[in-house]
Amino acid sequence: MQAFAYRSVGELVRFENVGLRYGVGAETLTDVSFSIEPQSFQFLTGASGTGKTTLLRLIMQALKPTRGTVVLFGQDTSLLEKDGLTALRRRMGIVFQDFRLLDHLTTYENVALPLKVQGRDELSYRAEVMELLSWVGLGDLIHAKPPVLSGGEKQRASIARALVAQPELLLADEPTGNVDPSLARRLLRLFVEMNRSGTAILIATHDLGLMDQIDGARRLVLADRRLYSEANDV
Amino acid sequence: MSDMRAPRNSVFGKLDRLMPIFKRDPLVAADPVTDRALVAVIAILTFLAALTACAAQFTTMTAMRWQVMMASEVTVQLKPQAGRSIDADITRASDILRGTSGISSIKVLRREESAKLLEPWLGSAASIESLPIPRLITVQIDARQPPDLAMVGKTLTDAVPSASLDDHRTWTKRLGHLSDLFLTASFGALILVVVTTGLTIVFATRGAMAGNREIIEVLHFIGADDRYIAGQFQSHFAALGVRGGVLGGGVALLLVLGLKLFIMIPDGLQSSAISEMLFLDWQIIMLTLGVIVLVSIVTGLASRLTVYRTIGRLA
Repeated sequence: MQAFAYRSVGELVRFENVGLRYGVGAETLTDVSFSIEPQSFQFLTGASGTGKTTLLRLIMQALKPTRGTVVLFGQDTSLLEKDGLTALRRRMGIVFQDFRLLDHLTTYENVALPLKVQGRDELSYRAEVMELLSWVGLGDLIHAKPPVLSGGEKQRASIARALVAQPELLLADEPTGNVDPSLARRLLRLFVEMNRSGTAILIATHDLGLMDQIDGARRLVLADRRLYSEANDV
Repeated sequence: MSDMRAPRNSVFGKLDRLMPIFKRDPLVAADPVTDRALVAVIAILTFLAALTACAAQFTTMTAMRWQVMMASEVTVQLKPQAGRSIDADITRASDILRGTSGISSIKVLRREESAKLLEPWLGSAASIESLPIPRLITVQIDARQPPDLAMVGKTLTDAVPSASLDDHRTWTKRLGHLSDLFLTASFGALILVVVTTGLTIVFATRGAMAGNREIIEVLHFIGADDRYIAGQFQSHFAALGVRGGVLGGGVALLLVLGLKLFIMIPDGLQSSAISEMLFLDWQIIMLTLGVIVLVSIVTGLASRLTVYRTIGRLA
């Protein structure tokens, strides 16, 4: 394992000496510095409670760092206005660990939501949403609402929602944590496909088996509140 | 989560179909029970506001009519005086009044008629012959060319010392004050009802947003801006406000028109009565519509302000 040194050309994400503290206690994350390149594929791993979700929340701007600099798509987030933040979020797709699907909407409506909130007319995106739903194997469940979907189906709906706006960066928090190994492999293939089509992927997971399935993927490891990059960094 | 749409046959379901423009947006996971309670509260408040406004309008119109009636008539009073013939005084006063321009007609009340007016105080058994009952002359004023009443009064008093002219000014003034007071009180009540409606919406919006906190967070993460999210809540509560307003205002309108109809039935529904009712009802309809619009604007503004304040905190 080696201390991570970031590169600065064309990154989607750059952290410089970022620290985060909840309340007045010790820092949860200390001196975190790394970057994510366009079209790259990386895993974020570490034992439970080491701050994987916290780091993702820092990237998605659900949390503000206590110190350090977070640069997203070339913009220092400490200087961002609300409208600017919205614009940045539209360039990211997020797969939540607990799916965060809206229970009162159908699968189709959930997946189409990122396009709908951008003010796009339904006629302009209906076909692509249907195609994506078929691609993730939910073509027959477009009218079903999340409460009647299985864990795997919810997971796929959540991934489809994250991908529908063709983001430049996809953040996935334990995307295979609720599914069987077979489905986990299928979902991973989905991420690889997305990566090949140009989306940078960051998957937070503690599943070593999952990481072993992708050759050459960078591994960012959280341990002792710090971020390290493993030797197979690309 | 339960379906947000009201059952087709319910009042709310019918309103949904009548007002598709105010169809609730599915992004707000509303609680139908809370929504119906809120619509009911707004309907009741609008009903009270509309009734208050209609009552104020009725009172003002009636007071104005009375004032016009009182101003178009004056009374000349002749007190019996020792050594003077009251009948001669009446004849003299009548001649003066008839010869004055601006007076369209006069009527001399007979002794019995004057006594009748005093009956509530003196009783019918009293012998009017033994009492010095004043005599009255009612004078109709030509509204187009009203006479100088001060001059008429002076002329009368000079010619007939027992005569005095009462132009009802004191009563007209008091009636005007009373009407103004009622109008002010009604306006105050209307303001209170509107403020209560606004506060109700504020609390309901805050409650709904707290209940939808997770949805708001997800919407933020998938790229929705505050304007979009606020629009969802705002349109939802504005729609509820309009539904409540239309329901309450509609019932108030029906009640007021029904009462008027009920009052007219004993006289028979003659065409003139119906046309008068339609004329007055046009004012009432406009007033009720005004109250509905006011309630809708207040609910829209209250929800908008609350949404923007709350969304900033949640974000």
